This record gives sequence, structure tokens and C-alpha cells, in this order.
Amino acid sequence: MKITDLSARVGGKNILNGINLEVHAGEVHAIMGPNGSGKSTLAQVLAGREDYEVTGGSVSFEGLDLLAMPPEERARAGLFLGFQYPVEIPGVNNVYLLKAALNAKRKAAGEPEVDAYEFLTLIRQKMKVMQMSESFLTRGVNEGFSGGEKKRNEVLQMLILEPKLAILDETDSGLDIDALKVVSAGVNSLRSPKRAVVLVTHYQRLLDYVVPDRVHVLSGGRILKSGDAALAHELEQRGYDWVLETRVA
Amino acid sequence: MNPSPAVRSFTAQWQARGADALSAVRDEAMQRFIKLGVPTTHDETWRYTNLRSLTAQSYVDAPRMSRPQIEPHGSLSLLSKTDRAAALLVVNGYPIVPMPDGLIDGVEINTLQELSRIDPKVLLRFLQPLSDADQQRWNLLNTALFVDGLHLKITHSVAVPLLILHVSASEHDHNIAFPRIIIEVAAGAGATIIEHHVAQGPHTPLNNSTTHIALERGAHLEHYRVFATGAAATHLDSLNIRQEQDSRCKQFTIALGGGLVRASLEARLEKRGASLDSYSLLVGHEHRHVDCVNIVTHAAPGTHSTQTARAIAGDDSRVVFNSKVIVDAGAVNAESQQSCRGLLLSPSAEIDTRPQLEIHADEVKCAHGATIGRLDPDMLFYMLSRGLDRDTAQSLLVFAFLSDVLTGMSVASARTAIENALIVQLPDSQTLQKFR
Repeated sequence: MKITDLSARVGGKNILNGINLEVHAGEVHAIMGPNGSGKSTLAQVLAGREDYEVTGGSVSFEGLDLLAMPPEERARAGLFLGFQYPVEIPGVNNVYLLKAALNAKRKAAGEPEVDAYEFLTLIRQKMKVMQMSESFLTRGVNEGFSGGEKKRNEVLQMLILEPKLAILDETDSGLDIDALKVVSAGVNSLRSPKRAVVLVTHYQRLLDYVVPDRVHVLSGGRILKSGDAALAHELEQRGYDWVLETRVA
Repeated sequence: MNPSPAVRSFTAQWQARGADALSAVRDEAMQRFIKLGVPTTHDETWRYTNLRSLTAQSYVDAPRMSRPQIEPHGSLSLLSKTDRAAALLVVNGYPIVPMPDGLIDGVEINTLQELSRIDPKVLLRFLQPLSDADQQRWNLLNTALFVDGLHLKITHSVAVPLLILHVSASEHDHNIAFPRIIIEVAAGAGATIIEHHVAQGPHTPLNNSTTHIALERGAHLEHYRVFATGAAATHLDSLNIRQEQDSRCKQFTIALGGGLVRASLEARLEKRGASLDSYSLLVGHEHRHVDCVNIVTHAAPGTHSTQTARAIAGDDSRVVFNSKVIVDAGAVNAESQQSCRGLLLSPSAEIDTRPQLEIHADEVKCAHGATIGRLDPDMLFYMLSRGLDRDTAQSLLVFAFLSDVLTGMSVASARTAIENALIVQLPDSQTLQKFR
């Protein structure tokens, strides 16, 4: 994925002001930054949220013009967004949604629909990785889930859909240390030379478990600084002000 | 004011009827109907439903038909094959005899013609309207003009659901039918009864149907009325329920078909502990107009009612749901809940809903709520971001929206058939079928 000069606004307010970022297959990137820096907006814009208006720039994904595609086509092309606040959809079963999602992707790839038995085996196997209880199978999408369960469900969906590029928007927030380990193990299990992961996070602690290749600091809708995993540690010690100040200096 | 062509033709039908044991009551009903006239949008409960085109027509009785002439199309498989024995056929209001009497344990079935010979007193009890409410006037017309119908007396608990298949069929335009069903459930007995309205043939008579339900002490009933006729059909259906002590009624009104469906429900919880749960699933599609009105009266202490209405409106359809709960003086500790929710699926569709409360007693617990909206954009985006087609996502959300009504149905086969009929009226029915 290559993001060039991406600008976007929400409700008339400019949030992204010229983002440039390249993510290659096999890489894990972390996007960090203070609250209100535009991290979540970037994630939502990439996934195709309609009330976010792109005002400039381009995004190419696997040679496709991502911004020209509706959200469902982006997903089928292999983009996955793990939501910061996954919505509850009472009455739509978790399994229905997952199966429909997987079949939509397979259909787009010219593959046959997943066999019911095969699907159930797959889902149980991935649920084990995410340490999720059986009751998940009969419940509505995120219905009555705790914050931690919702985040696990996001990662479960990701493991089943096996995206080429996963953008995880603060998937670590609100997790206790055990849940964080489970979520990290899920993300790590997806790491491969063919896939890329973008972790959007406020804190460094997730990066102890999922070690990124690149770390970027976002502020005011721009990437102010990029570096390797060590940058995250430096940020943890010195705070975001340090980046902002050095920039000014 | 001169009577309308419709009222003139009803009067002509009335004059052509022979005298019978019910003449006095019928006469009174007809006079009241003529006095009230066909409702207009100036009438409180008819604000959203204009009957002008209906009023401008003249009507004659829909024909009596025999079994071989009947091949209803569009009927839903509401019962599984093993339950099939318990199906009763009523065509244009006339029961098709012989009926499978004796096959069903715990039910006595008579035609209303037979009943008026054997025991007219029973019949007379069900001819008085429950109230003077505006919505009772089509009930009055039915009382004046019905020729036959069915009386079901549930004497013991009946294991299988009973199906009453109402077929509307005519070779000609401007026919009218007056189906009338009476259901009595004896003390402690219980049953599940499904009334299913379907159509056959090139023309569908105007349907002025009524059902009267009486539940004795401790009786219980699950009742469905399912409208699944074509776009040309007009239904003016009145359901009347009277409940004695500790009786329980679960009622489903399902509007999946018809051009104009007016479905009224009037219930009186007469004695302590009577309980009614009413569910309405109202589906607006193409040009359909659905108008559902419920009036539930708590006339005794410790009575309980819930009303759950879920309406969806697509294309150029319009759905109206009005409900009113009345708690009489002295009906202390009555509890009622009204939940009306509407979902608009197209910019040119309309939903109107108005839950009302009229409380004359202290110490009651009554709640009501109404919302009308469009599909939640966050839910939609979430599903799109997982790769689902927009149509599939929308339809799944519609199903989810309706689930409060669907999950309440105890007859699994009916629920499945209703869901299947619903699916074809939603976007992307093909993908949804796969989830069945």
C-alpha cells in the first residue's frame, strides 16, 4: 500500500493534512500519536467510511486505486479494519456475518463458497487461538460483549478473513494484560511475508508483544517522525511532546 | 348527505338477506353502520388511511365455491407436513364442508349456519361489538351481512396447531366477502390457531373479515393472522379478544401481502391476571398500505399486556401502527408495555406510529416507546467493511430489526415460512436464502 499526500476532513474539519506512507508485504507498522492526531481517521478513510471526505492525495493498494472503491470491495481485495469501537448488531449472528464475509471474499476471488463443516472447523480452531467461549457462536455480533471480547472478535474475524493488509485501530486499548497477550498472539499468528499489518495505537505496550518493523508518529494529521521499534520505546520514555518539540526546533 | 355507492350497495345486500335468528342484532348493527358511514381520514383511527376509492365502488357478494375450484396460490407453508391434518378451508367466508371434524382431539368445529340452528345464543354472544370505538364499524357491517363462518370450541389442550386457510377468490371485480371466525377456549384449555389469508384468481374480493376470541379462566391461545394476498387485495380485518381470569393470549399480526391491509385488534382483559402479548410484523413493499390499530383495555386488577410492533417500509409503501392502552378505574397493578419501532428502507416510504395511554387507575406500570429511523450507518459500515454486499448487509439488518417479533413465534414452521416470504420482499433475497 502506498499513501501519497492524503488529506481528509470530517464534518468540515481538516483532520488529515498530507499523509505519506508506504507499507510493504511482510511488514508490521505502528502508527502512534496523541489523541486527536488523526490516527483513527486515517484507519477509517482507508476502510472507506463514507462520511469522511477525502480532499486530496491517493492511495494505491495492490495496484488498485483504493479511494475509488466502495468499502466492501476494499475488504474483498484484502483490506481489513479492526475497529476501535466495534458496533453491536443484535439479531445478526456472529457466525452468519463471518460466513457471509468469507464467502464474499471467496466469490470475489472466483472461489466456491465455503463448506459448512469446513467453516465450523475453521471457526472453532481460530476461536481457540483467541480463547473465546462456545457461546460466541450463538450470539449476535458483539452483542453484550465486554470491551475485551469485542477486540478478540475483531482479531478472530481477521484470522478467518486472512487479509493482505490489516489495520488494527487501537485494538489494544481497554485490554488487561492477559487479553493483550491473546490479541497479540492472534496478530502474530497472521504475520507472514505475504501480509502486512498496521497497528494504530496510543501506547507502546502492544509493541512489546507485536514488534513492529517501522514506527510512525502522527500529529496534526501528518507523520512527523518515523523510525524502527526503538522509536516506540523512546516515545514511551519521553512522551509525544518530545517529537513535537524537536520538530519545531 | 347521500350515501356513497359502497354504502348503497351494502344496503342492497342487507335488504336481499332473508330473515334469520340473528335478524334483530344484525338490523341494529346495520343501522349503526349506516349512521357511522364509511370511515374517512377525519376519523381518529383512520387518519392515515383513505378509503375514498373503495367508497366510490358498488359491491356484490363474493361467490360461494366448492372444493375442486380451489387452488390458492401464494399460500405459505405455515405448518409442517405432519401438522397438515388440522387445516380448515374457508373460501370467501364460506367454510368448505365436510371439515376434518373428529380428526382433532379437543376441538369442536361447527359452521356458523349450524351453530345458529343448534345454539343461536352462543352466536349472539359474539355479535355485540366490544366497544363503540370507531374501528368497530367494519365489524358492524360484517355482523349485518355475514352468511356463514366457523366456530371453534377448544375444549381441551390441542397438541397440533390449527390452520384456517382463508381464500379470497372471484371471477369478477367489486365482490365483497364477510368471513367470520369465532374461537372459544374453555377453562384451562389451550391451542395454537393460524389464520392465513391468501387469494386466488383474477380478482380478489374486498375482505371484511372478523375474528372473535374468548378465553375462559386459565385458557391459553397463540393466534396468528397472516396476510399474504396479492397487491390488488384489500383487507378490513377486525380481531376482537375477550379474556377471563388468568387467561393468556399471544397474538401475531403479520402483514406480508395485500394492497391495503387494515388490521385492527381490540382486546378486553376482563378479569384479574389476564395477559395479552401482541406482536405485529408489518411489511411495506411496493405500493402496499398497511394500517394496524390496537386498542387494549385493562378492565381488571393485575392484568398484563405487551405490544411489540416492528414495521419496515420500502419502495412507495406506507405503514401505520397506532396502539392504545386503556386502564379502567379499579384496574390497579395493571402492567402494560408498548414498543413500536419503524424502519424506513426508501426515501419515498412512510411510517406513522403513535402509542397512546389512557389511565384511570392508580398503581399501574405502563410504558410506551416509539422510534422510526433508517438503518444504522455504523452497523451498515461494519458489515460492508467485512466485504458483504450492501443489499445483503441491509437485509440482514432488517431481519435483525424484526427479530423481536420473529423469535416470539412458537410454531417453528410458521416462523420459517414467514421469514422466507419476508426475504423475497427484501433486497438481495438470493444471498439471504442461503442463511436459511
